[in-house]
Formats: sequence, C-alpha cells, structure tokens
Amino acid sequence: MDRRQFLATTGALSALGFAGCRGDPAGEGPTETAPGDAPGSEPAEGTPASAGDTTTPDRPSGIYVQTFREQMSMQGGAESGDYAFALMFTVPHTFWTVTGDEFSKTVIEDGDSLHLMATVWDPETRTVLPDTGLSVEVTRDGSLVSQEVIYPMLSQPMGFHYGGNFSLDGDGTYTATLSVGGTTVRRTGAFAGRFGDPASVEIPLEFTPATREEMASRPFDRGGEPGALRPMDASFPQSVLPAPENLPGTVRGEAMTDDARFVVTTLETPPAGVDGDDPYLAVSARTRYNGYVLPAMALDATLTRGGETVFEEALRRTLDPDLRYHYGGAVDGVEPGDELSLSVATVPQVARHEGYETAFRQPDDVSVTF
Amino acid sequence: MDPPDPSLPRREFAKAAVALGGPAGLAACLDRRDADPGPGTRQTGDLTTEDGSTSDATPDTVPTGDPASVPDRQHAWGEYVRRDEHGNALLPRHQVLLYLTLDGDGPPTGDERETVATAFHTLERAYAWRHDGLLHSVAYSPAYFDRFETPLPDSVDLPPPRALSDFEDPTFDTQDAVVHLASDRADVLLEAEEALVGEGDRANGVAVDAKLTDVATVDSRRTGFVGAGLPADNQNAAGIPDSEPVPEASPLFMGFEAGFRGNQATEDYVTFAEGPFAGGTTKTISNLRQRLDDWYGEQTFDERVAEMFSPSHAEQGLVEGIGDNLGDDSGIDRFIDDVPARAREAGRVGHAQKAARANRDEDGNVRLLRRHFESTDDIGSDQRVASLHFPSLQRGITAFEEVRRAMNGADITRATPAVRQRVNNGILEYIFVRRRGNFLVPPRRHRALPTPRPETSE
Repeated sequence: MDRRQFLATTGALSALGFAGCRGDPAGEGPTETAPGDAPGSEPAEGTPASAGDTTTPDRPSGIYVQTFREQMSMQGGAESGDYAFALMFTVPHTFWTVTGDEFSKTVIEDGDSLHLMATVWDPETRTVLPDTGLSVEVTRDGSLVSQEVIYPMLSQPMGFHYGGNFSLDGDGTYTATLSVGGTTVRRTGAFAGRFGDPASVEIPLEFTPATREEMASRPFDRGGEPGALRPMDASFPQSVLPAPENLPGTVRGEAMTDDARFVVTTLETPPAGVDGDDPYLAVSARTRYNGYVLPAMALDATLTRGGETVFEEALRRTLDPDLRYHYGGAVDGVEPGDELSLSVATVPQVARHEGYETAFRQPDDVSVTF
Repeated sequence: MDPPDPSLPRREFAKAAVALGGPAGLAACLDRRDADPGPGTRQTGDLTTEDGSTSDATPDTVPTGDPASVPDRQHAWGEYVRRDEHGNALLPRHQVLLYLTLDGDGPPTGDERETVATAFHTLERAYAWRHDGLLHSVAYSPAYFDRFETPLPDSVDLPPPRALSDFEDPTFDTQDAVVHLASDRADVLLEAEEALVGEGDRANGVAVDAKLTDVATVDSRRTGFVGAGLPADNQNAAGIPDSEPVPEASPLFMGFEAGFRGNQATEDYVTFAEGPFAGGTTKTISNLRQRLDDWYGEQTFDERVAEMFSPSHAEQGLVEGIGDNLGDDSGIDRFIDDVPARAREAGRVGHAQKAARANRDEDGNVRLLRRHFESTDDIGSDQRVASLHFPSLQRGITAFEEVRRAMNGADITRATPAVRQRVNNGILEYIFVRRRGNFLVPPRRHRALPTPRPETSE
C-alpha cells in the first residue's frame, strides 16, 4: 500500500481513542510540524505515516503534549504463568532510548511497518510489570520474520509498555510470540516469589487493510504545550500509580523535579521480603500529569534528623502489590521533622516517546520534610 | 534444499554444499573440485599449514589416516588445526553435528558397539587426523547413560541440560549421542558423513563396512562454518542487515575474533585426569539465533567493542577492526574486578568481562575451551537464519553453567538500571538460545557406545 492510500484510510477511529489532554494548557503554542512532515524525516514512499518524527527546537523542558494523536489496533491478549499480556500496534514511531544519561534518537527506518507494543501485568492485582525484559518473535506460516528484544517505553496514551518498530513482510496473519523474562527487581508482600520465571504466549497479529485502518496518526494542534495526553481507555491495566491518599502507610510529603513526582510514604513495618522489622521508606515515582510509573532509576536517599544523617543509601527498586513499583529501604526509625533528601543517580532507563524525551533528564536533588 | 549453484564463489559454494549434505552435496563438491581444481575450499593467506607455508590449491589427494597415530583424546584437535600468527587456533572451516538416537531400547548390545567402533575406525583409516583431513568426535548424553542401570561415576559432572537464565526457554537436545565432524575441506567432510550415516561405500578409498545408521537414526543434522571470509560470504541470512556489515576478515558474524589462546582453557585442563573416562571431557552444545540488525544498525563500533569486550576496551581503544591486534589474548582479565562499579559509570557491561569472572579457577586458569562456529541453519526449517553453534569443553558441565550464569549479568542489573536484563548487557540483546545439550566425550578407547563404568563392566 502506498502512503497516500494509507492516509486516505485513517479516518476511522478505534475504540482506543484519546480523551484529550491534561495539564496546564496555557503554555506557549506549539511550533511543531505534523507527524511525518518534518524536514528531513519524510517517510519513504510506500511506508505508512509515522508518528513522533518531528523536530524539537522549541520544546519546553519537562513533559509536553505530544504533537499528534493516534489510534492503535488492539491485537489480543493471553495469559501464561504469573503473567497476562496484551499486544497492539500503531504507526511506526520515533523514540528516544536512554543509556545512563545518554539519549539516543531511534528514527523510523525505511521499511518499518508498525510500532509494536506489548504490556505485561499481574492478572491477580492488575499491576503492570515495568522492569523486566521482553522479546518478540514474529513468524508467518512458521517462518521467522523478526525477533527482537524490545524496549521498556513511556508514552502519553499508553504509559509504560514495551515497544519497538518492526518491519513485516506485507499483509497477512502473523504470530507474535511474546516472551517475558523473570525480573531481578526485589518483590515484596504477596509478590515475593512471583515473577521470577520466564513465560511466553503466542498472539495472532493481523496486519491487514482493516487493522491498518485502526492505526492512525493526526497532528494535534495543542502539541508542544506543557501537559500530556490523558491515558487511553483500554481493556488492559494502565501503569498509573495509586494516588498519594491511596498509598499504604503514612504519606510524608512529595517533591517534584524535572516533571518527575516523588511521593514519600513510610510503613511502620516493612513488607514481607524486606529483612528486619525497621520502618520502611518508600518513594513512589511517577510522571507529573498522568501518574505513570517511572521505573529503572537509581535513587539515593539521605535521611537527616537534627542535622545528623541517620540513613544514607541507594533505595532498591521494588515491586509490591500495595505500594506497586517503588524505591524502598528499611530505615532506623522515622520522626516528625526528619528531612529526606532524594538524589537521582541514574535517570529512568526507559525509552521515551514524544513528549517525554525532554523530561526526567536532569532532575535536581529534592527534599521532603516529614 | 536445492544443490548449490556452481556459479557461486567458492566459499559460499562450499558452505552451501555442506549445508545441503547427502550425496547431492558431496557430488556438487566433487564436481566443483574436478572442474575447478584451484582453490577449492581454501583461500590464500588464511590457510597456513603447520610448516608455515600457504597453499592456494586443494590437492586432489586427501591424506589418509593411521589409526595408530590418532590421539587418545577425541577432543585433541588443537595440535592438528591451523594457527594464526599469534598462535590462536583456527578451527576447521566446515563442521557438521549429527545428533543420533539409538534404534533399540535399553543398553546397547555388543554387536551394536562393534558396529560403531568399526564405523569410526574406518574414518581414522580414511583421513589423516588433521584440519585438511578430518577431525571428529562422538559424545553421549545423560539420556544415553540412563539406558543403563549403573549410573555414571559421581566424578562425572553431567547433568541434563537446563535453562540457565531468567529469560531463555531452549529446547533440550536429549538424543543419545552427537557426532562432530570438522574439516577445512568441504568435500572431505561430506564424504566422511556419507560414510558414517549415508550412502557412501568408500571413504577416501577405504571400504566402508559399518555405518552408524545400522544402529541409530540421525535425529538432527546441523552444519556450520568458521574462519575469515565465510561469515562475510554467507551473511545473506535472516538476522543480518541487508547492508552486509560483516567484515571480510571476520571469522564470525559479530565482526570480532574470539577464542584467543590466552582466554581459552587448554585441552589438558578440560581433560579428566582420572576415573574410567580419564582422557575424556564434557561438552555442551548450544544453538543461538543471532539478530544483528541493532548490533550493526544502532551501535557504533565503540559500542560494539564495549558490549563484546568491556567498556574499558572501547575507552582505551584497545580493539582495532576485528581485534587481530589483540594478539593471543583479549586482555579481559584486566577488566574483571569491580565490574558492577564500571558498569555504573559506563551504563554498559561487556560480554567477555562478565563471563570471564566465572571462567577462571582459583589459580587463574581458564575453565572452558570454546569451539563455536557459525551457521545459517534454522533448526526445524529450511530458512537461512544466522545462528551460532556453541560447543564448549570443560571438566564438568557445572563450569559451563557457572560461566553462562555470570554472562547473564543479573548482579549488574541490580547494580545499575542502565544495564537491563538484555539491553546494554553484553551481547544478550542479540542472541536467543534455542537449543542446549550436554554430553560426555569419552576417550577414544571408550568412544563406541560406552557403559557408564567402562573399565569395570566391559
């Protein structure tokens, strides 16, 4: 199918449309061009329209509303072992991968057919699992078409997911085998002992004119403003963390830096799986607007009391059914007036879709007074 | 699969003939040799014989063998292969693995043992034990030894194969035995295979009186190649970008030399010193699918060096091109202390440095002798897909398992979120383990369907 034909078929909206944007819309107007039309990023003839392939000359620092709105084609779901999976795709995307503090733009390549996305969650608690490995093997009639380790990613409509651009071999029915690895992240509470084994599921992948009609990308004129598109309505769970008032323990306060929001809570006793019975300090890190989990950071914490340091450690990435994904550590007592200083040693090692590539890059040290 | 196109360049042709196998593969090879008695499977420059001379011609005659001169260790290949100028072993360019299932149930009979013994003895008479003749070995699986009531001695460390990472789910090779054939000459390799399991009634002029297929069935045939030129010539396979990025000089698809002499166990080290199988060793063989689009497409040369060797190798510019400048040692031992701290700084960890942490004994000796080679086999289909056959020899399978677990780098993923389960974590993003089997390589005197306690029960 050539691009003109494709663009002509993108009027139909799928059930996964978007509710609008949130955040303060009063920022300066966007200056971006429409997806796929940016200078130097013209998709090759014969490839579908692309998304997120725009330049970013005047983007604000921090999260901004992405410059396009899109639909996606939901392909299916399956469960295996401790895991539930969902598979969907949309038009090929530009995204930014992160290694340490280095950002690397992955551009859309000639021949990319789609941006494949998968999400993995615990079917019992509907907790999205954000810090493991995921690979996809795509076959057609038993023949290998592609196989890749795909990247953990953050996008405005999808939140946390695993994704990558794939090149398919024309229209047809493919089989996508999603394989999740066992996580090395600490698990606590009822999650102790779970999510340690790999599992795989096969989900049919229909790449046809009908499913392509479901994926679409249109320019969004409020793109570039501070804010973010709302999470999409979806049949699978979102990676939105609990509101502060719904976190367990005593919420001690919160801090924001570079549009990363840190909510601090303490538990009188640690969740099962953490040694000892000292109080437990948990930092729930999420995106400013949508409250999406910010996984895979190195976060150092210092607790001072009356000018004296009583705790100074790297918090551990931890997955808990109540606290969800957080950064935690056992502390030797918590008292009113304690000051907690948080320092991001490594920014979230999660690839960014448009609107997030300018955020959580250079967070300042922040503090919360209990 | 169709016979190879005679118009193919010689290295591609030889590889294609080996992949095809059978009478058709052999016939294609022989026709080509007759029509083109020049280079055959050889090429100038990389085929240095032991006396240092190079030859551009495949001789019409193949050196015959003398069973009396064949070493007792089936895995004694090192003295009989070519070496590069640094003394690194250059494994035979063409290789075949034949996975065999015995036809009968229970322990094999004396007649069956005699048949197998004769079949291998024939090969030894037919071909000189050297790279331009034939090197071969047969090894037996835990499932084979389960046919016997008596277990293997406790000293033999041969567990069944298992998954060795949190993210792999390989199919296990639990056939009874695996035969490994290797030669720099595709025609020799194919003729030997025909003699062992095919139609051939003569091997290099020697009458074939017994075949492995008299007592066993070939469950799986896998082929491959290694050495400068062959990966570049055969990179038109799924898993390798269309840009054909594999350097001509590279012995492997990933673009670097591997198996430097200083980073390999010696044959002496991996050999059982005592017990009924003294002179033997253990062998694991994995098959790894390679997906090198991002390896070559997303990574710079320095990033590939960092991920293959160590970030320090990249920062210090230690690797030029395919790494021939490293000589006989990758220098990895300088970079295996405090790997987590270096990974935290660099955001990456090297494959070699992770593995090397577990690949040294307390005296600093290397524990594994790796003999991997490339393939475009896609086990179970006719597709051309880049893959790696990874035989490794060691005193016990546990050593391999420990090195493989160290290569997973799970401790590094805990040390820094920049190194993820398979991303920025050595080469794990680009390899997918599909098969694994564990085997015992008995000494030559016990290679024919051994009992678990051959000295006492034979």
